[in-house]
Amino acid sequence: MSSSKQDLNTNKFCFLKVSKLKDRGKMGANSSNMEYAHHTSTKSPSSSHILTFHSTAKWKAHFDASKQTNKLMVIEFTATWCGPCKYMDPIIQDFAAKYIKVDFIKIDVDELMGVTQEFQVQAMPTFILMKKGKVVDKVVGAKKEELEKLVEKHQN
Amino acid sequence: MAFSGFEGFEKRLEFHFLNDDPNPTINHQLGLRKLEFESIQQILQAVQCTVVSAVGNSYFDAYVLSESSLFVYPTKIIIKTCGTTQLLKSIIPLIYFSNNHLNLTLSSVSYTRGSFIFPNSQPFPHSSFNEEVSYLENTIPSNLCYKKASIMPSKSSSHSWHVFTATQNPHHDHDHIPYELPYTMEICMTELDPVLAGKFFRKPGDEKSGHSAGKEMTELTGINKINKEAFICDFAFDPCGYSMNGMDGGLYSTIHVTPEDGYSYASFECVGSVNNDDDDAIVHVLRKVVQIFRPGTMSVSITTCSEYNNEVWRKVASALEPLGLKCRSCAMDQFPALGSVVFQTFTPLRRKNASK
Repeated sequence: MSSSKQDLNTNKFCFLKVSKLKDRGKMGANSSNMEYAHHTSTKSPSSSHILTFHSTAKWKAHFDASKQTNKLMVIEFTATWCGPCKYMDPIIQDFAAKYIKVDFIKIDVDELMGVTQEFQVQAMPTFILMKKGKVVDKVVGAKKEELEKLVEKHQN
Repeated sequence: MAFSGFEGFEKRLEFHFLNDDPNPTINHQLGLRKLEFESIQQILQAVQCTVVSAVGNSYFDAYVLSESSLFVYPTKIIIKTCGTTQLLKSIIPLIYFSNNHLNLTLSSVSYTRGSFIFPNSQPFPHSSFNEEVSYLENTIPSNLCYKKASIMPSKSSSHSWHVFTATQNPHHDHDHIPYELPYTMEICMTELDPVLAGKFFRKPGDEKSGHSAGKEMTELTGINKINKEAFICDFAFDPCGYSMNGMDGGLYSTIHVTPEDGYSYASFECVGSVNNDDDDAIVHVLRKVVQIFRPGTMSVSITTCSEYNNEVWRKVASALEPLGLKCRSCAMDQFPALGSVVFQTFTPLRRKNASK
């Protein structure tokens, strides 16, 4: 089964908005029209423990600061057009309320493309668990049970 | 032989929608992927199943369900469910949400399934193919006026293939690149080798999540070698049973296993494109699947556009014969919008003495 594999390593997410989805074969077609995602469904986090970053600079600042503590960070890479991310939304809100010693962070793959590529995110949602600036674990997919086990394992 | 066990054989629905707005807005391009999760949940509730795991990439969303799988593309949805789920009950809510919330029009529906191991355990409207076809004709919109229903037979085995399709455009017009020949392959296997099927039982007392136990099964059984490019979302049920969805760019694959002796069953389904490079993909996949399950009976259904159907049955048989599986039957038929369906059954040259 072949597919346009090359796409996975380029800015594939933003192309969703500009290429015609009828061209199922080559989604990674070159495009010069880059747009940022608009949030069509806004759910304001009810817990103060879910942070969102809309700029790379702000994320980098938070990331650098986190190296000074021993706090577990759970970074969720999401896309507004990804159903499994919407499925996980209420679950993450519950986790954030339950695991108060853990920082839950959301990064939109269309907004922070550089960070997304840095972490080699290819499918959503992807959860990267970090402590002191180091990746301690990773979950790819909306896997409630697995994520909860790992949060409990790594939190202090 | 158990009197009644879990029904592994799935029912499968594939819906195609029109997305022909000449100036699509961003939201419109996303099509069905804009469905609110609450809507998906209501559709699944109608079928009595729930989401167990899910993942998405830039092409589609894939959900592992309590009773199989769901794939959501911008203009196509595939739902496959097993057990005693009432899959056809998803039609009404799906049409409601896609019309009212997304302004999408249904352009074709197809329903396929093998033969149930326990047909008497199936609830309405699945107690017979007649009942299913009747229900389908009563629920699908009237614009889908080109219809065909057929049971493709096999000589002696208990595997036969039921197909119903309805479309508003009888010419095969699903979005695909003209020079690529897309195919859908559905493999149903029964009487699995008991030792191999044993790998799909959870180890008693293991403290793993269903997700990590599933990952272990994927690796232990070699399922991860079927398509090394695919990202796999897997799950192991307690005390036994396994499901996985594979994502390879825009191509999905899916495996479901009911390992219990007496009614063991496994299915493998994937889509692909036939062009020169991919000639061996079907062969490779078939061989790997046989290696993993060693079934007593295997049926292979391939849906493709007509240009390719003359070769495909030969390719399937030539892939399986060296593994000791003899082709016992071959049937071919044409269906509006689907194209051509080739249905073959295979059993080992020397039949195992199954002790039941």
